[in-house]
Amino acid sequence: MIRLSPLTKKKITRFKSIRRSYWSAIILLFLLFSSCFAELLINNRALIVKYQGEYYFPTYGDMIPGKTFGMDYEYETNYRKLKLTFKEKNSGNWVLMPPVPYNAYENDFIEGEYPPYEPSLASGHFLGTDTAGRDIVARLFYGFRIAIWFSMILLVINYAVGVSIGALMGFWGGWFDLISQRIIEIWSNIPFLYIVMILSSIVVPKFWMLIVLMAIFGWMGMTWYLRTSTYKEKAREYVMASRALGASPLRIIFKHILPNSISVIITFIPFSIAAGITSLTSLDYLGFGLPPPTPSWGELLSQGTENMESQWILISVVTAMVTILALVTFIGEGIREAFDPKRHTVYR
Amino acid sequence: MTESDNTPLLKVENLRKYFTVKDGRLFGSGKKLMAVDDVSFEIFAGETVGFVGESGCGKSTLGKAVLRLIEPTAGCVSFGGRDLLALNRKELREIRKDIQIIFQDPYESLNPRLTIGEILEEPFVIHKLGNAAERKIKVAELLKKVGLPETAINRFPHEFSGGQRQRIGIARAIALKPRLIICDEPVSALDVSVQSQILNLLLDLQKEMNLALVFIAHDLAVVKHISDRIAVMYLGKIVEFGKAADIYANPQHPYTEALISAIPIPDPFAEKNKKPLAGEIPSPADPPSGCYFHTRCPYVQEQCKNEMPELIPNGKNSLVACHFSLSSLQETS
Repeated sequence: MIRLSPLTKKKITRFKSIRRSYWSAIILLFLLFSSCFAELLINNRALIVKYQGEYYFPTYGDMIPGKTFGMDYEYETNYRKLKLTFKEKNSGNWVLMPPVPYNAYENDFIEGEYPPYEPSLASGHFLGTDTAGRDIVARLFYGFRIAIWFSMILLVINYAVGVSIGALMGFWGGWFDLISQRIIEIWSNIPFLYIVMILSSIVVPKFWMLIVLMAIFGWMGMTWYLRTSTYKEKAREYVMASRALGASPLRIIFKHILPNSISVIITFIPFSIAAGITSLTSLDYLGFGLPPPTPSWGELLSQGTENMESQWILISVVTAMVTILALVTFIGEGIREAFDPKRHTVYR
Repeated sequence: MTESDNTPLLKVENLRKYFTVKDGRLFGSGKKLMAVDDVSFEIFAGETVGFVGESGCGKSTLGKAVLRLIEPTAGCVSFGGRDLLALNRKELREIRKDIQIIFQDPYESLNPRLTIGEILEEPFVIHKLGNAAERKIKVAELLKKVGLPETAINRFPHEFSGGQRQRIGIARAIALKPRLIICDEPVSALDVSVQSQILNLLLDLQKEMNLALVFIAHDLAVVKHISDRIAVMYLGKIVEFGKAADIYANPQHPYTEALISAIPIPDPFAEKNKKPLAGEIPSPADPPSGCYFHTRCPYVQEQCKNEMPELIPNGKNSLVACHFSLSSLQETS
């Protein structure tokens, strides 16, 4: 069991007392959790199929050809149609579809009409479709899943690099610190957007490649905070006591300095997540992000601005973005408030 | 390892620590601040040497420089015959078992994120002594030794009072059974009522473990209570060094005299014979010419302004750095 220090407990209590942030955190965690099971909520594969006394669960695993259910085709079963067929025949077979019975990659065309289609309860396109006839709810939700996990993986890499380099700068000081500072200043001035434009005109960036690329240009921010915080902690007497006992530099950094700098790191996490989502969206918007047809907010945003007469596209994606970014920012504010060093400091 | 009585446990020779103070010029080399300036002394096993002086006189820097927590600029520190300044990292780590330090501020010297158990376990973990169960027993022993309940083990530093925290600091310092402990103003942050408890604890432990103590304080009354010998420091230099009783009864340096006269006497009818010092302590970055003390000395003479006095024997077992030490003044008058 993890033993929380009373200081941490105090901070958690304080965070909970800020209702807006607390509820934002609960909603976001719920969204994150449900995004892990997006296939069960938004999918064109059925949740359960009962056919001739047997149960099928097609959501995960290989596709099930139409022949299995008495259809006349070898490709993947169209479960929406299957549901209608079973209903007509009324033979005790049935299909249970997810709440939104569409897949993010699937083009659902209505005969005689061009997409985008308006929102309608009857068709199950609750927020309508985009210009390729793909369901917007599905695009939004899968887009959210990609964006938030992208942002969190990016955050872990950025912080791992930034925190280690920053801590070393603060711990060693002297020439290492001076030279690293100058290198970071120069590196920070490389225009990231141009680099991405140039690179994505040569190769189409994949998920991991984009993360690595963004991490290469994104780790610098954290170094400054850790450098300062390490300088501050290093000079305190408990670190000196540990040195007097013969502790190795690694032990001092990991056992003493980092745990006491953790509030600096945690305070920045929500804001970094928001920044990560924003930058992925803007890259996608410009067309330099993840390749189509990956569901993405940026791509929806650009569709929306190009098709203003189909307001539902723009309204949906802007609302989704504002909601998520507001949630993350509220959480960030709550954490900042709860971790306020003036409240818990030993410097009175 | 045993040394005979006349080999010192710790021998410090001509120790200096200069800090560079930037003076605002971009490429200026800056001024030298002489925090510790040419200090030499010896300490024998089981002995207590007190260091007193005003704040800023370099006594804390001296303590940390001896431990190499601050790297000295020049000089020689030998412990049990080994030159501390020449040791590599591994050897230094080994010798750190023998020299420990207790800090002034018990609120700063304990990591607020660790439990007392984790704090006291650290010395054993660092030196890879014993397994988890053995370490736990040792921690419990340490707590008992410094007079804290065993339940303290799972609690955090902020749950304790200043005096209790200082006990924890002491427990950590004695964990590895050192032979020398540098006490850097261990009681000056505590209430007077608690001070004597902590001092008595230190004295008991000293007897029990045959510890040598370097006792740094700005309060001569505290130092007098526990020291065998006393060094009085002024602006990075030792100005008087001798047996505690001698220094107290018969101060030779005018600065020592002023310090002693400032000790309050707990008797409202006692004859008040205070000799308060005029002025402030000069900046160690810009020390006065000649004798550093001449700007505040009540007996200042022309020679004092030009010539730096050396720390030379004066009477029995006592060293004084003054051209006109008080005994010689009395003889001439």
